[in-house]
Amino acid sequence: MNAPHQSVGIVMIEDDEGHARLIEKNIRRAGILNDIKHFTDGTQALHYLFEAADGPAKSGPALVLLDLNLPDMSGTDILAQIKAEGSALKRTPVVVLTTTDDKIEIQRCYDLGCNVYITKPVNYESFAQAIRQLGLFLSVIQVPEVEEH
Amino acid sequence: MITTVRNRFVVSEGRFGRVLVTFMALGFLALVGAGIAAGWATSRNADYTRWVNHTYEVELSVSNARRLIEQGEASRRGYLLTGNVEYRDAYRRWAASLTPALVRLQRLTRDNPRQVAALRVLRTEIAALLVQRGRTMALIDAGRIEAATALFRGEASVRRLAVIRNAFEGMAVTERRLLEQRDAAQRANVRAFYVILAIAAVLLAFVALASLLTVLRYTRDLSQSRDTLRDFNARLEETVSERTADLSRANEEIQRFAYIVSHDLRSPLVNVMGFTAELSAATTPLTEMLDRAEAECPGIVSEDARLAVREDLPEAIGFIRTSTQKMDRLINAILKLSREGRRVITPEPIDPAAVTETIAGSIRHLLDDRGVTLTVERPIPGLVTDRVALEQILSNLIENATKYLQPGRPGTITVSGESRRDRVILSVADNGRGIDPRDHQRIFDLFRRSGQQDQPGEGIGLAHVRALAYRLGGTIDVDSALGRGSTFRINLPKAFDVQDSPS
Repeated sequence: MNAPHQSVGIVMIEDDEGHARLIEKNIRRAGILNDIKHFTDGTQALHYLFEAADGPAKSGPALVLLDLNLPDMSGTDILAQIKAEGSALKRTPVVVLTTTDDKIEIQRCYDLGCNVYITKPVNYESFAQAIRQLGLFLSVIQVPEVEEH
Repeated sequence: MITTVRNRFVVSEGRFGRVLVTFMALGFLALVGAGIAAGWATSRNADYTRWVNHTYEVELSVSNARRLIEQGEASRRGYLLTGNVEYRDAYRRWAASLTPALVRLQRLTRDNPRQVAALRVLRTEIAALLVQRGRTMALIDAGRIEAATALFRGEASVRRLAVIRNAFEGMAVTERRLLEQRDAAQRANVRAFYVILAIAAVLLAFVALASLLTVLRYTRDLSQSRDTLRDFNARLEETVSERTADLSRANEEIQRFAYIVSHDLRSPLVNVMGFTAELSAATTPLTEMLDRAEAECPGIVSEDARLAVREDLPEAIGFIRTSTQKMDRLINAILKLSREGRRVITPEPIDPAAVTETIAGSIRHLLDDRGVTLTVERPIPGLVTDRVALEQILSNLIENATKYLQPGRPGTITVSGESRRDRVILSVADNGRGIDPRDHQRIFDLFRRSGQQDQPGEGIGLAHVRALAYRLGGTIDVDSALGRGSTFRINLPKAFDVQDSPS
C-alpha cells in the first residue's frame, strides 16, 4: 500500500488531540505514510491551506480531514471556503470526520461539496476500518496528481 | 391582576343590580297600587252611579204613582159629573196601573226604612181612597148619581188626597236628600281617584328617574369596566405571546442543550473507546511476551505481573468497554429525543389499522418467534397526523408487548381505536406480565424501566413514545396490573393542529 510518491499531504483539522492521535495511528496502521499536518483550530488551518508557502494552495496536492466542531469556527465554514467557486483548493478532496450522524448536517456537508463523510463511531473497530478504507482512497487519488503536478 | 379586575367588576355589578332591582320593584309596586286604587275608585264610582240612578228611579216611581192617583181622581170626578162611561173605563185603567206602580215603588224603597214607613202609611191611605172611590163608582154605575154625589161631598177625599200628596212629597224629598248625599260622595270619590292617580304618577316619575340615573351610572361603570377589560385583554394577549415566545425559546434552548451535550459527550467517549482499544491491542504483545517468558525463563515472571496481564488488564478493559457502550447508547437516546423534538411534523390522513398491519408485517418474524398473535380490531377511526411519529409510537408499544410476556401464556396483542368527539383513542392491549401500578408514571421517564430486567433495552422506548404523543398534541397513559397484561391508550386529536403541539 505504500505510495510511490508521497506528495499528497494530509491536512488534519481536529481540535481533539485524542481523536487526532487515534486517526493518525490508524492511518499509519493502514500503511499510509503520507505526511500528516495537524491543526487544532480553523484559523491556522485556513492560513496553512491558502496562504502558507508549503500549503496545498501554493504547492502540492492535499487531502483534508475535517472535524466539524472546532473552537473558533464551524467546520462547515472551512468546507465552504475550500469548495467555494474560484477557490484554489476546489478539487481538493475533503473527508468530514465528526461525531454527528445528524442527517441534515450530513446532507449539508455533501451539498457544500464534501467528498466523504465519516461518522466517528465509539465502536473503535469500525472506526479503524473506516480509516483504513480512507487509506485505500488516498492511494487511489494519488494517481492524477503524479501526472499533473 | 386578573382577580382584582374581576372582583371590582363583580362588586359594582352586584350593587347596581340590587339598586336597579329595588327601583324596578318599587315602580311595579306603585303601578300595582295605582291600578288597585283606580279599580277600587272605579267600582266605588259605579256603585255611586247605581245609587244615583236608583234615586232617580225612586223619584220617577213616586211621581208616577202620584200621577196615577191624581189622574184616577180626575177620572172619577169626570164620571161623577158626566156619567160618561169613557171616564169610568179610564178610571179603571188608572186604578189597575196603580197597584203595580206601588209594588214597584215598594220594591225600590225596600232598603230604606224611612221610605218603607212612609209607603206603609201611603198604602193604607190609598187603599182607603180606593175603597171610597170604588163605592162612588158603584153608585154611579147603579145610576144613583145623587147618592154618589152626596157621598163625594161627605167623604174626606180631599183631606186624604192631601195626606197622600204630602206623603209622596215626603218620599220625594227624602230621595232628593239621598241624591245630594250620594252626589257628594261620588264627587269625593272622583277626587280621591284623581289624588291616587296623581300620587301614582309622581311615584312612577320618581322611580323612572331613579332607574334612569341608576342605568346611566351602571352603563358608565360598565363601559369603564369594558375599557379596563379591553386594555387588560390586550395586555393579556401581549403577555401570552411573550410567554409563548419565552416557552418556545426555552424549549428550543433545551433541545439545543440536549443536542450539544449529547454531541459533545460523544467526543471524549470516542477517545475513551479508541484508547481502550489501543490498550486492548497492547495487551496482545504483552500476553505473548508473558507466554514466552513463562516458557523460557519462568523465574523472571512475578505473580503480580502475571495477574496484571492475564486478568486485571482484560477485566478493566472489559468494564470500560461495556460502560462506554452503554453511555453511547444513552447519549444516542437523548440525541434521538432532542432530534424528535426538532423534527417538522407533516400531518396527513392516516388509517391507524393499515399502519398497524404494516408494523405487524415488518416484525412478523419477531411475532412468530415469540408465538404472539396480533389482532387489529377494525374499524379504527382515521385521523390526520404525522405518519412517522404514529408508526414509531405504535411499533414501540407493539414491540414492548411482544417483549414482556407472561411466562406460560401465549401472547396476544389487540390494537383497537375509538372516536370520542374530536379525539381518537388508540389502544394497544396485551396479556403480558403487566406493570406494577407504582411504576405506571415512571415507565414513561427516560432510562426508567419496570419489573424484572430480563430483556435488553435502555428504558428509552416509552419516553420516546410519550415525547411523540405530546408532539402530536396527544397524551398517553397505561392501565395495567401485574400478571394481567397492560393496555396503553394514546389519546390523539382527530386532526393535528400546529397549535396543539408544544414548541
